[in-house]
This record gives sequence, structure tokens and C-alpha cells, in this order.
Amino acid sequence: MRSGRWSIAQILIVMAISVAFVPSQLSAARDGDERSHVLVIGKVSDNPKKHYGYLKPMVDYAVSMMGDLGITRGEVLMAPSNEVMIEYLKAGRVDWVTEAPFSALIFRDEAEAVLLLRKWKRGVPKYRTVFFVRKDSGIATLADLRGRTMAFEDDGSSSAFFVPASVLLGTGLKLVPLASPRDVPPDDAVGYVYSHEEINSSVWVYRGIVDAAAFNDLDWNKEDHMPAFCRDDMQIIYQTEPMTRAIEVVRGDLDPAVRERLRSVLLLAHEDPSAVDALWAYQKTARFDEIDAGVIADLRTMESMLSEVCEEFGE
Amino acid sequence: MIFGRMQRQLMTAMVVLLAAPATALAADVAVTTDGGIEVSRYDGSAWFKVGGRVMVDGGFYAEDEVTLGDGTELRRARIDVEGGVSHNWEFEFSADFADGDADVKDAALSYLGLDSTQITIGQQKIPFSLEELTSSKHTTFLEPALLNELVPSRKIGITAIYRSSAWTTAAGVYGEEFDDDADDEGNEGWCVAARATIAPVHDDRHAVHFGANVALEIPDTERKISYDTRPEAHVAGVKYVDTGKIRGVEDVRAWGLDAAVVMGSFSLQGEYVVATVAQEPEDERASSKEYEFTGWYAYASWFVTGESRDYKVNKGAFGRVKPYGTSGALELSVRYSVLDLTDGEIEGGEEANITLGASWYANRNVRLTANYVIVDNDECADADGDVEGDDDPHILSVRCQVCF
Repeated sequence: MRSGRWSIAQILIVMAISVAFVPSQLSAARDGDERSHVLVIGKVSDNPKKHYGYLKPMVDYAVSMMGDLGITRGEVLMAPSNEVMIEYLKAGRVDWVTEAPFSALIFRDEAEAVLLLRKWKRGVPKYRTVFFVRKDSGIATLADLRGRTMAFEDDGSSSAFFVPASVLLGTGLKLVPLASPRDVPPDDAVGYVYSHEEINSSVWVYRGIVDAAAFNDLDWNKEDHMPAFCRDDMQIIYQTEPMTRAIEVVRGDLDPAVRERLRSVLLLAHEDPSAVDALWAYQKTARFDEIDAGVIADLRTMESMLSEVCEEFGE
Repeated sequence: MIFGRMQRQLMTAMVVLLAAPATALAADVAVTTDGGIEVSRYDGSAWFKVGGRVMVDGGFYAEDEVTLGDGTELRRARIDVEGGVSHNWEFEFSADFADGDADVKDAALSYLGLDSTQITIGQQKIPFSLEELTSSKHTTFLEPALLNELVPSRKIGITAIYRSSAWTTAAGVYGEEFDDDADDEGNEGWCVAARATIAPVHDDRHAVHFGANVALEIPDTERKISYDTRPEAHVAGVKYVDTGKIRGVEDVRAWGLDAAVVMGSFSLQGEYVVATVAQEPEDERASSKEYEFTGWYAYASWFVTGESRDYKVNKGAFGRVKPYGTSGALELSVRYSVLDLTDGEIEGGEEANITLGASWYANRNVRLTANYVIVDNDECADADGDVEGDDDPHILSVRCQVCF
């Protein structure tokens, strides 16, 4: 009797295998059939719900200009880290990524991605990192930060971690992490903590919780990141040269026709009235322009900064 | 032995069943928390968020004529669930348990696939009034201004909202609230409403907002309505201004204007609302009557610690206050508010409140607030004859609030 009928357990095992593997098989089949008709945009994100709203209007706008290339749909796929995004680019799951230059360089080196265009994120092509302290702190130069405390935003921030850390290392200062902003650093080093938000950096310096902080000059002039009542009591002790703000990257094996169409669509988007909402959603982007010799020189500088910081912090 | 093998097979099946989704979960979703929990897929196709709010109030009355009684109250104990599915569909459900029963607040489905236009179907707030559309979590004072009584409340219906980077428009058609008695005979009432907002100035710490609202309400078959409201505190139940039941109502036409200005840590806000009640004639030879009720308020707010009220241009309303430092934010505020429910033979009374407010936002989630309300009622403000008119109590209300 038993030989001709399946037990409940056997049926459950078949169901389990189906649940585990059939979706991926279906997905693979779909990939084979449909992937070439889809343009996928991505970003490293810790808040996919929020960032989906940034990306979807832009990829939809780009796709609307690619019908003759067989691209009929735009999709979004974000990644929790650079490492995962590298895997997505290598596997062809993401076609186009918008990121800060440091991440763009990592994708170029690790995933053979192509740097496509410079993005005027929040209206500007470049920004500076500024180091600021209280006017009454007695700190006038970066060298004066020895034995003092410093706030960075977080270890993924370009202008509020990689650049200022590189500048301090380049000045010959040693950086040591602190468990709390109230901890006292060694006399021969700069103790640092992560504030996680620009406003925290500002207020911590204003209230004397840390001695200094660094972020970009846009944040310095942004009232909700550096309120006027804080700024009035602050002074900038150092600012970097302007550096590229953001880069658009595509995977290396993206169809050249699609890549070039994307390039031309983005280059002209600021002149297209139908792109206004998409550009606004896309982090208030004013326009895109070519990666010229100036940007390349900029990226080389940032590349050496990246190497220096990664070497120091073992990343 | 057979039973043992079956158990092992069942165990294997369960492990495979549980492991497969778990693997997918780890790779596909981000989980964040700000007290509540938000889960979202990295492809943006789906997300959900569970949050809530608990507000515990105390009320202390310096009574004048009428006994009001000090006391405490669980003002709100609400669970909010919202989410998105298949990219363009979002849902929202919130229920309040403060009264011991589940009181559904919002229960709606939205479609977002029409560029900047959102269609929402279900129980929802009517697009009318800046203060009404600002979440109770984020209003400057503990209770809305007196004129809120003239503002249409939540109803079941459909709303289309268009949002741009500087202005919004919204319009909708609605039936009655979800808890309208299904055993009532006859037709439900219905309502149409529209609202437009524009913010010619809006940046991180500045905003200039103007809003205009209109609504037309047709009452249900019983054709009766009433307006009544407490002073701007909630613990005691006496509603001084009270029109009593107005019968034979044909329609209610309401319009309102609102404005707000944010200048760094200082802000101003005000509204004016008029509701006109048309009453059918008593006989064929008489003409219909109209009663006009009005309300307005103006208030000022100042963050001693430098923060700003957070104007949301795409909602035409205010959002969460975010303290700058680890020691929280302190806000001082004052409001003057008037509601006049007397017109013609309807003597609902006129009431004015001056409310002095102080709020300490310990962090993004926890807030302690105290409001001191100075009440000025006229002789007609007698709770439709239940209490003495011209009663002018002073009220101290305090609230401990957590939102997550």
C-alpha cells in the first residue's frame, strides 16, 4: 500500500524544494527572456524605501528614451554595501549606479565598471570639506588638533570621513578611535568618533562635546545641518580644494548602444522639460556633464586619498 | 520505525521550508528601527512599517462656575501599520485603543502609479485645514484649535492628490465614517472637499505656506447636525459651545484659509474657517434659513534651542521636530483661538482661548508638553443649557508622549 502513495512528509519536502528553488528558476528564466529589455539602476542604501523614490523616476525617464533599443522597463535594485553592489555589477544584475566618487572608484577597480558622467548632485559639481572648531577653542590649525577630539559623520561618508581622515593623515597626525566623545585621546593623536548626522557634528562642536568636526561646505551653509546660532560661534580652520561630488557608473559589459544612449540622454536631461521632476527626485540634480581631464585629475587625487585611508584603517 | 522516519522527513521538510525564505530575507530586505520597525526590499517593490503613539494626559482645572474635575486620561494609544506592495500600491491602517475599543483611524489603499498623482481609497482624513492634516504627533499644542469643530472629520471615500515641488492640490468624494450605524435606515450623508496649498518659500529652516479649503456636506436622511467642542484641553468633558441639534439641514458649506511662516526657530500659523448650514424652510411659504459659524486662530512658536518646525512641502503640512543636540529641544508657544457658534436663533455660544505652551522634545520620539489654557466663554456658551454660561475656567494640561 505504501509504495504507491506519497506520505505527507514527502509531499512537504517536494513543496519545500519548490519554494526554495522554483522562484529562482523562474527568475532565471525571466532573466533570460526579459533582462535585455530592462534597465536596472542601483545605489548602495541603508534606506531602500526612501532611495527608491530617488531612483525610479530617473530610470523611468531614461527608459522612455530607449524604446528603439528594445529597453521597455526600468527597475531598481539597491545594495546594502559596496561589496554586494560589486557582486551585482559583476553578475549583470545592475546596469547603472549613482554614487560618490570613492565608491565609483571602488566599483571601477573591483567590478570593472565604467565611469560614465559627473552628476551635479544637489545642484553642484564639486564641494569642499571644511574643518571647523569653536572660535574660542584656541585651535587655529590642523596641527592644533593633536590631543583633541574630532567628529566624523560615519565611515562611509566621502566628505565627512574619507577626505578629512586623509587630510589629517597627510598632515602627519595619528587617528585613534574613541568609544565616546567624552573620552580623552592620547596627547600625540587625534581621537575621533562618529556623529552619524551632520547636525550632531555641529552641535557637538558648539557645545564643546568634541573639539572639531568636518563635513562639506554645502552642509556648512545648510541651516538644518549648521544652524546660524552655531555657525556664528564657529570658525573654519581648513578647507580642501573643490572635489567631484558624484559620479554615474555603468557595468563594464553593458550593451555599448545602451551605454551611449544613457550618456546622451543624461547629458541633455537638464534641457528637457519632461525631465524636471525626475532630476528633482534624483537628489535635486541640476545636470550631468562629461568626465573631462579636470574630473580625472580630481579622481586621481581621491584615489590616493582612498588608498591612504584604506591602508590606515585596514579596509 | 516508520513513524520515526516520518518525523525525520517532516523535520527535514520544515528545515528546508524555513531556511529558504530566511536566506532570501537576509539578502533582499533592509530592516531599520526608530523605535518602531521598517522593513523594505532592496528593489523597492515592497515595504512595511509598524509604529505607534502613546499619549498620557493630565488635566488640572481652576474652575470658575462649573465643576470640571481634575483627572488623567490615556489620550491616544495607537498602532500604525503602513506599507507598499508591487511598487505602486501603498496601504495604511491605524487603530486607537485609548477608549478600550479599537477605533479605526486610517484604513486606506493608495495607488501611486500616475506620476505625481496619488489616489487614495478608504477611511482617511478629508483634505481640509492645515492643523487637521498635521499629525497629532507633531502639532504644536496638545489639542487642535476650537475651529477644528467646523472641519470635516475622517470619512470613507476617494481622494486624488497631486504633489509638486512647491504646491499640492487634493479633491475627493466621501461617505460617512466607518462606524456609522449600519442599521440606520435611509441614505448616508456624503461630502465633497478640495484643498490647494502653495509654498513659494521652502528650504531647510524657512517656509511660507498658504492653503485654501472648500467642502460641501450633505447630511444623512435624518438631516440633523450639531457642533460642540471642549476648550482646548481634553480631560474634562464639558463642551461649553454647543449648537444643540439643528434639524432639517439641507447642506453645510465650509471654506477656510490657512497660512504659516517659518523663519528659523520662529514660526507663525493661522487659520480661518466658515461653515454655513442651510436649513430647509419650515413650510412652503417660508424661505430656507442659513446659519454661519466661524472660527479662527493664530499662534506663534519659538524654539529656544534653535530647531525649526519641519514643513513638508509635498504634504502641505508639518512633520516631526528633530532636536539638534543630545539634551533635546525646547519650544515655547502661544495661541489665540475663537469659535463663534451663535447665529440667528442658534445660540451655541462664543468661546475664546488663550493657550500658553511649552514642549520639551527629549529626542525624536519622546515629548513632554504643558499647555495652560485661559478660557473666555460668553453667556450663550452653556453646553446647550446644561451648565452656566459665561464660565471662564483656567486649565493646565500636561502630556507625556512617545511615538515610534
